[in-house]
Amino acid sequence: MMERANTRETKLAIAFVKDAITQIQSTHEVVLKNDKQSIVEDQRDYNLPTDVIALDSVSVLDTEDGNKYKRIRRLMDDPLVSEDKDLG
Amino acid sequence: MSYDTNKNYYYKRHGKVLRLYKFRKNTLGPVDSNGRVNSANADFIYPDEAITDGLRIEYTALTKPFVDEDPETTADASLTEATSPTELSHVNLNRVLSLAVVEYLKAHMAERKGDVQAKEYFMKQFYNKLADNESNRNNVFVTIPMQPYAIR
Repeated sequence: MMERANTRETKLAIAFVKDAITQIQSTHEVVLKNDKQSIVEDQRDYNLPTDVIALDSVSVLDTEDGNKYKRIRRLMDDPLVSEDKDLG
Repeated sequence: MSYDTNKNYYYKRHGKVLRLYKFRKNTLGPVDSNGRVNSANADFIYPDEAITDGLRIEYTALTKPFVDEDPETTADASLTEATSPTELSHVNLNRVLSLAVVEYLKAHMAERKGDVQAKEYFMKQFYNKLADNESNRNNVFVTIPMQPYAIR
């Protein structure tokens, strides 16, 4: 790969290759990871994994339907929330 | 006790956190001072129940960017990550995406030399190769039966 790109700077090439893979992963789902977290009552915010490049899907467990994860939809705007809790 | 989670839960990305909302639809709203009942009372609340491992997030990440073996010939599960990559390490991508990375490298090397036109040309090649990779995945094979009186 370095020969084809006509470079001898290994560290720089490695940094650019990582940038290229990040660029590819931001628009194409080459490798997907998944992270599971417990939903806590009355808690709105959940931390995203630190290595997220792009979100592919978010699902919530349906315990009444054979413990299946069902994909949920994304909101475009912040909704008007009734019973807003004090987040501290 | 969660049910119809695909209809009742929604999310919104907010920086480094994901905000989770539950849609609550009541058949009857509260009776107002005039004794009227609002029948379509729906609103968003925070999750009102605890679900163990209830939230699953699927995402792309920089996973094993460099490996010791050729990823085209080795099963993905048995690939070991090259933590200190050298010139002999393999990039953990298929052939077309590896060629796209070469174009990306050429583009940034050209930029370092101040050749912006070459950089733009190689970046265009990079995106062309990404598109090629995407279209290769979406090949649809159509079989058309030959007409009985067709000239063969």
